[in-house]
Amino acid sequence: MKLLTHNLLSSHVRGVGPRGFPLRLQATEVRISPVEFNPDFVARMIPKVEWAALLEAADTVPKEPIQGYEHDERFLRKMHHVLLEVDVLEGTLQCPESGRLFPISRGIPNMLLSDEETET
Amino acid sequence: MAAVPAGRRSGPAAGARFFCTAGRGLEPFLIREVQPRQAGTWVEYISGKVFFTTCSDLNMLKKLKSAERLFLLIKKQLPFNVSLSKGKIFNEMQRLTNDDPESWLNAISIWKNLLELDAKKVKLSQKNANPLKRKVGENDIIAKKLKTAQMQEIQESKECQMEKQIEEETPEQGSFTTKRDKSQELQNDVAEAVDTHNQNDLTFRVSCRCSGAIAKTFTAQEVGRVIGIALMKQFGWKADLRNPNLEIFIHLSDIYSVVGIPVFRVPLASRAYIKTAGLRSTIAWAMASLAEIKAGAVVLDPMCGLGTILLEAAKEWPDVYYVGADVSDSQLLGACDNLKAAGLKDKIELLKVSVIELPLPPESVDVIISDIPFGKKFKLGKDIKHIIQEMERVLRVGGTIVLLLSKDHHRRLKGCEESSVPLNSKGSRTDKPGSTECLNPEEKAAVPEPASSSFAASNQECLDRMPPFGSLVPVECYRVSLGKTDALIYKYKKSHSPGQ
Repeated sequence: MKLLTHNLLSSHVRGVGPRGFPLRLQATEVRISPVEFNPDFVARMIPKVEWAALLEAADTVPKEPIQGYEHDERFLRKMHHVLLEVDVLEGTLQCPESGRLFPISRGIPNMLLSDEETET
Repeated sequence: MAAVPAGRRSGPAAGARFFCTAGRGLEPFLIREVQPRQAGTWVEYISGKVFFTTCSDLNMLKKLKSAERLFLLIKKQLPFNVSLSKGKIFNEMQRLTNDDPESWLNAISIWKNLLELDAKKVKLSQKNANPLKRKVGENDIIAKKLKTAQMQEIQESKECQMEKQIEEETPEQGSFTTKRDKSQELQNDVAEAVDTHNQNDLTFRVSCRCSGAIAKTFTAQEVGRVIGIALMKQFGWKADLRNPNLEIFIHLSDIYSVVGIPVFRVPLASRAYIKTAGLRSTIAWAMASLAEIKAGAVVLDPMCGLGTILLEAAKEWPDVYYVGADVSDSQLLGACDNLKAAGLKDKIELLKVSVIELPLPPESVDVIISDIPFGKKFKLGKDIKHIIQEMERVLRVGGTIVLLLSKDHHRRLKGCEESSVPLNSKGSRTDKPGSTECLNPEEKAAVPEPASSSFAASNQECLDRMPPFGSLVPVECYRVSLGKTDALIYKYKKSHSPGQ
């Protein structure tokens, strides 16, 4: 699971709503795998990123996107590394409101809820 | 009509004539693919085949994604007159080979040239590639000089033992399905073609298909034999049913008599980069082609199964963030395998989540493409309406949804259990009570129909009868064949936030 994905996921435990974000990430096994750098792609992803959530998940991130980031290769490369090259293979995601833990196994987060937990 | 002979090594200068078979319903997609490449050269659709002329080499033609198979055209003519005696018709068949032997020899030499040229290009690009190779099953460094997608395909298919599971065939397909490595096939094709410098040494096999009135009088084997014997007499070739240099494909129908040479042994529809296909790759690609995928988009398949749709999309539109989701461990495992085998592990993320409870914020996804499971194997415990509601929630305004729906899904979404509304378009059948089918109009006699009108009619009907779903407005509809059954591709756009 890449950090870009973590950034997109929110908790959907019953009654939690917007407070279910961001999911707290605990990684027990991480792999750094090189990914071909595409500055255009990274630049397009930046506006979609919830920066506070990203800061919580990764500590080597600048506090906010810098002015003119679209053309700043160093910044883009840093973001590329953080968002796309860090792969969480094993760990957990925790709903900040309910405390519910969702496991990550083989890089795939399991966010299936049991019948009691679902809202409908 | 003869195919135009190839000029120099650089490729057929004046353009060679080809045709592609396509699954029923996919012809508009194939025409769209073929047309821009040819920029004004002849494209014609007749009853499951798209005929066209092009100067392109195999590099371009290999990339046709909605075609089943690609053939070089040797002959296309009016159907045989079935009112003649059997003997007379046999004579007519022999004339296919005897009247114009030049056209046969030309086509064969074009075929050889195309394959040789292509094999050279493949070798050249392999030499240029960075020596760092991709190992299957590990996330190694991707060779930076892998420029073309094709290059990547060849690399990966050489390195991993690919056994493609080929889906059940459409009726249009010939009988050659092999499970061998695609690039290896290409090498084999060239070796076979080049081996026969002296055309008298050629070994061949005839594969024949008869449909319509002529099928009532002749079996495919009979026709194959007659043509085969005529070819042996005309050119001195030897028949080899098991491993011939050359395959001849013949289709006799009520609409035409067509003779061609399959350019590759392996159908275009069988992808080198897909290890285990779920949905037919041609349909998966067609769905992705409707979805308006743009660079930097977030694309979700919330019922991804083995990931076929995402694989097809990621190969064509790489600069996009893809997410696949499924509830089944075995499917996700299969999808993971597929991603690795295709070298797309970095482009597609997987989640184990349920489509009716997506852990995604509202309006966070640009595109959703999904094949909604149906059939006896799947017990869709969840109501299709709930599924689409959840998709609607996570889709941003202006976003696109492309779904593959079974007729059952279709019925439920239209909100009617039974309908005996007769189709009102010209020439279409009226509905039987209880069925809500809108069928393609029956094929009319000999006159080739212009591509757009026959589809526009029935697909437009499907579209008109489908109401909007909340803020999702249906904009396009295509009925496609899945082999044993038909299904519908629906495209929706989200017009506004619900509640506004």
